[in-house]
Amino acid sequence: MTAVPPRPVIQYEGVVKTFGTFTALRGVSLEVNHGEVVCLIGPSGSGKSTLLRCTNGLEPIDSGRVLFDGVALPAQPKALYRVRQRMGMVFQSFELFPHKTALDNVAIGPITVLGMPRTQARERAMALLDKVGLADKAGSLPAKLSGGQQQRVAIARALAMQPEVMLFDEPTSALDPETIGEVLNVMKRLADEGMTMVVVTHEMNFARRVADRVVVFEKGQVVESGPPEQIFDAPKTTRTRDFLGHLGWQG
Amino acid sequence: MTLQWSVVWDNWPALLHGVLLTIALTFTTMAIAVPGGILLALMRLSPIRPLNLFATCFVELFRNLPIILVVYWAFYVLPVLTGLSLSAFATGLAALCFNVSAYNSETFRAGIASIRAGQTEAGLALGMSRSTAFRTIVLPQAWRRVLPVLASTWVSLFKDTSLVSVIAVGELAYTALQIRSQTFRVLEMLTAMAAIYWLLGYPQAKLVDWIHRRMGVLE
Ligand SMILES: Nc1ncnc2c1ncn2[C@@H]1O[C@H](COP(=O)(O)OP(=O)(O)OP(=O)(O)O)[C@@H](O)[C@H]1O
Ligand SMILES: [Mg+2]
Repeated sequence: MTAVPPRPVIQYEGVVKTFGTFTALRGVSLEVNHGEVVCLIGPSGSGKSTLLRCTNGLEPIDSGRVLFDGVALPAQPKALYRVRQRMGMVFQSFELFPHKTALDNVAIGPITVLGMPRTQARERAMALLDKVGLADKAGSLPAKLSGGQQQRVAIARALAMQPEVMLFDEPTSALDPETIGEVLNVMKRLADEGMTMVVVTHEMNFARRVADRVVVFEKGQVVESGPPEQIFDAPKTTRTRDFLGHLGWQG
Repeated sequence: MTLQWSVVWDNWPALLHGVLLTIALTFTTMAIAVPGGILLALMRLSPIRPLNLFATCFVELFRNLPIILVVYWAFYVLPVLTGLSLSAFATGLAALCFNVSAYNSETFRAGIASIRAGQTEAGLALGMSRSTAFRTIVLPQAWRRVLPVLASTWVSLFKDTSLVSVIAVGELAYTALQIRSQTFRVLEMLTAMAAIYWLLGYPQAKLVDWIHRRMGVLE
């Protein structure tokens, strides 16, 4: 097997983000390569969600650059909409559209954004619901689904745009413990298929098993970054050790 | 005092015409004031200062003036301001539209604000434009939430159309009051008028109650 040189898909170059007088990101530099799974971990309020939201331009940044596929995120709205089509995002609170069935939640992106004919979009949506194990829930409204099921629909919804990267912001934090596994399994399978993924998570076991690289955040900065073995078994900074210690991580 | 109910039957074509005009006035006002209300709400939510300012002034003015005053104002001032000579019907319609649009604007503004930002962001994350996200995600949800309020506004409007009788729009109230002054059958005509308004209004109020019960929030 020949080694494929890593191709960066997302590059953060000295990203600074402020909210009023508060600086949420203090110059973050990071690369995410094609096919890589990067897990962001760190204490609450350290800026993990903010970094994710800056990745697809939901939050504008104050200085530095975010590059997607080698190109800085455009400021012009229409160009930004086109970039967002190529990135999927999954939210902690699912954000399914409550007035639409599971199937229509998944089909809405292709229909409204890509202008795909309804029947074709529904076929694609059905295949994706099947992929996340929810073909039998196609006609259900989100309110009738469990949290784990809603989040799987949300993953299918993002996949319907056939994105090049998937951004996950604590996808299992709002879930009952018994439904966390089904969502993580779907994510694991996606990673195995070679999807490029940035995952903010408190699921250390997932990070350890699935991540190619783990990035530790604190106070808007990257404290340490490396393969999971390094972060979890031989952390190089005391701050990483402290953070993992707080979580009761035993290695 | 002897009652002479025949005055009601004898004048039924005129009364029917009044009823139809009342209904037409209610429908037309709502047909204009719903999109008008959405537009004003969007202007008030917009970051563009002049739009925002205009909409705020419009809404706060017409929401806080008695309708009857707006009706007179439209009758005497609007032709001077615009140079147009409007029919009585159009003038009454304009006055009602000003008032109801202002009300609907606040209704829609609250409805739109009640849809959390994450919903729009979920749409944006799929690559939707802001306007697409608004149309396909926010508005349908807001619509469900405001429908009961709009229905109540409708019932008030149906009764408030009677206020345009002061500028001689021949709707139900005007017609009934005209017949009263021509025939001097005060009690009969007022009773008939009340009965007709009630018979038309009661089913509408019941329908509103039904909508209130039916339109639960989906989450
Ligand atoms: N829209 C906003 N306005 C003001 N402050 C904000 C805003 N969004 C985030 N912040 C602040 O920025 C900091 C970083 O927030 P962020 O949500 O990125 O943290 P996080 O690492 O995702 O934390 P958590 O694990 O709790 O989700 C926090 O202190 C938060 O209060
Ligand atoms: Mg967060």
